[in-house]
Amino acid sequence: MESRAQQSFPRTASCLPQIFAFMDAFFAEAPVGDACRNTAQLAVEELFTNLVKYSRGGKRDIRIDLRRDDDRLIVSLTDFDVEPFDIRTVPDAKTDLSLEERKPGGLGIHLVKRLVDHIDYEYADRNSTTTFIKNLE
Amino acid sequence: MLDIKFGEQGQIVVSGRFDASQAEHAEAFLNKVLESREMDLGGLQYISSLGLGVLLATQKRLMSSGHALKLTNVRGHIREIFHFSGFEQVFEIEPNPPA
Repeated sequence: MESRAQQSFPRTASCLPQIFAFMDAFFAEAPVGDACRNTAQLAVEELFTNLVKYSRGGKRDIRIDLRRDDDRLIVSLTDFDVEPFDIRTVPDAKTDLSLEERKPGGLGIHLVKRLVDHIDYEYADRNSTTTFIKNLE
Repeated sequence: MLDIKFGEQGQIVVSGRFDASQAEHAEAFLNKVLESREMDLGGLQYISSLGLGVLLATQKRLMSSGHALKLTNVRGHIREIFHFSGFEQVFEIEPNPPA
């Protein structure tokens, strides 16, 4: 049994509540555990806000695809007509520094890479798609 | 929504969702904290990197004057996020009692 949903959102962080509502509606139809839901929403928030802040040349809405099969949640964010940006190449945040040396920020992609089970990246025809998979418990 | 307030013993009580849309609200509240406090996170359901940044900035500010936040009731998914963020190195985090 597979469930799918797709929606596009304007590239502004102020639409995060709408994104969470879209995901909650999907999870109402295709339930996952609380931990999986929180991880998925965290990863989407971090990836989406990262695209809004840093995606070079992006002007169009960002599309979010949700898919749940028997044992996995698969989430893709597609940014259209932009330069490539593969989060897998982003260096890890330095989380072992002392408080004096640490600066707020830089944790988002670091957390995504640790909390999800797999990350894919595809760039074709100037469209940039990041996909993550979270295995269901 | 995020709820952040002072509890009856003067501790900071946080509950709800600490996402990017709530960071400004939380930062305004925490800027009023000028001395060491416990922060009860038992009702916190969700936190993202912007929320973590607000906690880190508050700890840095307090530590510069010899004070600190102590985090209590950190559970499940939130504890996992704090671990991956290296928060054990920069916060005192109260161990959870056995379930």
